Amino acid sequence: MTKLEKAYLAVNNIDRIRRRTDSSPVILLVTIIYLIAVLSVPVDRPQGIVWLAAYPVIASEMQGIGYGKVFVKSIWILPLLVIIGVFNPIFDKVTVLHIGSLAVNRGWLTFISIIFRGLLSFQAVILMILTTGFIDIFNMMRKVGFPSVLCTQMLLSYRYLFVILEEAIVMKRAREARGYGRKAYPFSMWGRFIGQLLMKSTRRATGIHRAMMARGFSGTLPLGAKYSWNKRSWIWLISWTAVIALLRFMDFSKIITEIIVR
Amino acid sequence: MSHHFVKYTNVHYRYEDGTEALKGVDFKVTHGERVALLGLNGSGKSTLLLLTDALLFPSEGEVNVGDVPVTKKTAETIRRSVGFVFQDPDDMLFMPSIYDDVAFGPRNMNLPEQEVERRVNKSLQEVGLKGMEEKSAYQLSGGQRRSAAIACVLSMEPDILLLDEPSANLDARARRSLIELLKGFKHTIILATHDLEMAEELCERTVILSEGVVAFDGNTSQIFSDPEILKNVGLL
Ligand SMILES: Nc1ncnc2c1ncn2[C@@H]1O[C@H](COP(=O)(O)OP(=O)(O)O)[C@@H](O)[C@H]1O
Ligand SMILES: [Mg+2]
Repeated sequence: MTKLEKAYLAVNNIDRIRRRTDSSPVILLVTIIYLIAVLSVPVDRPQGIVWLAAYPVIASEMQGIGYGKVFVKSIWILPLLVIIGVFNPIFDKVTVLHIGSLAVNRGWLTFISIIFRGLLSFQAVILMILTTGFIDIFNMMRKVGFPSVLCTQMLLSYRYLFVILEEAIVMKRAREARGYGRKAYPFSMWGRFIGQLLMKSTRRATGIHRAMMARGFSGTLPLGAKYSWNKRSWIWLISWTAVIALLRFMDFSKIITEIIVR
Repeated sequence: MSHHFVKYTNVHYRYEDGTEALKGVDFKVTHGERVALLGLNGSGKSTLLLLTDALLFPSEGEVNVGDVPVTKKTAETIRRSVGFVFQDPDDMLFMPSIYDDVAFGPRNMNLPEQEVERRVNKSLQEVGLKGMEEKSAYQLSGGQRRSAAIACVLSMEPDILLLDEPSANLDARARRSLIELLKGFKHTIILATHDLEMAEELCERTVILSEGVVAFDGNTSQIFSDPEILKNVGLL
């Protein structure tokens, strides 16, 4: 399998293993609340974020997905986070903490903090996608008030992304099959490759669009009735909002330190 | 629409780039008839099917489905009574699960969810995909994907079925079960295909397109008794 195919499967699989049961806008709402909570913690306080890990860990277990799966899927964002945070320890050398004889500067704190908040936010989003799937998410966004044109647009763009990827994989295979082990291609050939890719994916998108029209599609995707809001949704929303608020505003690090010190 | 016939009168179609795909097609398919549409690649089979489902509109001439002429205005009505199984099932399967794919049409028709469910179950049952509801297209074999695409159309309960090269890319066994499946249908069917045997087995009548015009219209058995017919249009 090539890198391209792996990337494709990674994204596609996320969408595929979702279960239909808990499809309800409540997941979307809780995710939004969680993201606000995580991103509002000051950058130089990683100890404030650590506790918020409770949500992805516990919720993914409760949803029957398992935190392990969510975690593994989330680590490929690490390199990106490292790139974003890497300069902090270099430039921000104000010492803020001593661990034994080791002086910790603020740059390191913000670095760790960026890694944590990035990872946790991403995990919450992955959890949402795993439980619902992109298409449902766009539909739910509609349910909770996003303009339907926008959601349908996003959905179709999302679908189009796959169309392009699929065509790219096919073309790459065809090229490799005739390439006799050649690895690098001259620039001019890339131009042709991209031109062809656009043409092919346009043809494919036309096909999909026609097939949608043929089945009565008129611009907005139909919502199934399964996006229900019931008592369980309320319980999920209220209890998680409470837990997240608690984790966000209570200084557990301090409380625990005090307990240990005492 | 009590009469499920399709009538082509002097149908021309020119694509935007100037390609003349159809240059005056005339024939009529009557209620309950199964017609095989044969022809080389590029002879205009797909174009004709697209015109029949109001996905394209004739540049000249007329297509009638029942009493309704195919126009932009009638497109919605036409698409309700005509079901189109596209050549590439992947064009038709774009939702996260087979269930949602098959429910796509009925939901667009604004049917109550209960009725949607009934139709999805029935259609999946018919094509032999019961129990595959939660799978994604991507997890199915080529033959199963074709069946799923057919279920997507059946769930809309159309009067007329258009199939564009349904046996393409199927192995012998999948092709066999497809033929058996289609044999059971009561719909008026137009079947574009390269598969002569399939045409022979399913359709009493055959229309051969050649370079955008009808080159033959008659009994399928005639084609097999007179090889000249196929030779003339390059199919043999
Ligand atoms: N989107 C398009 N733009 C321009 N020409 C097209 C398009 N689609 C098909 N054609 C041309 O129209 C003719 C008939 O094509 P088509 O109906 O697909 O034939 P068939 O299905 O019998 O292979 C061919 O010459 C083909 O190249
Ligand atoms: Mg064709």
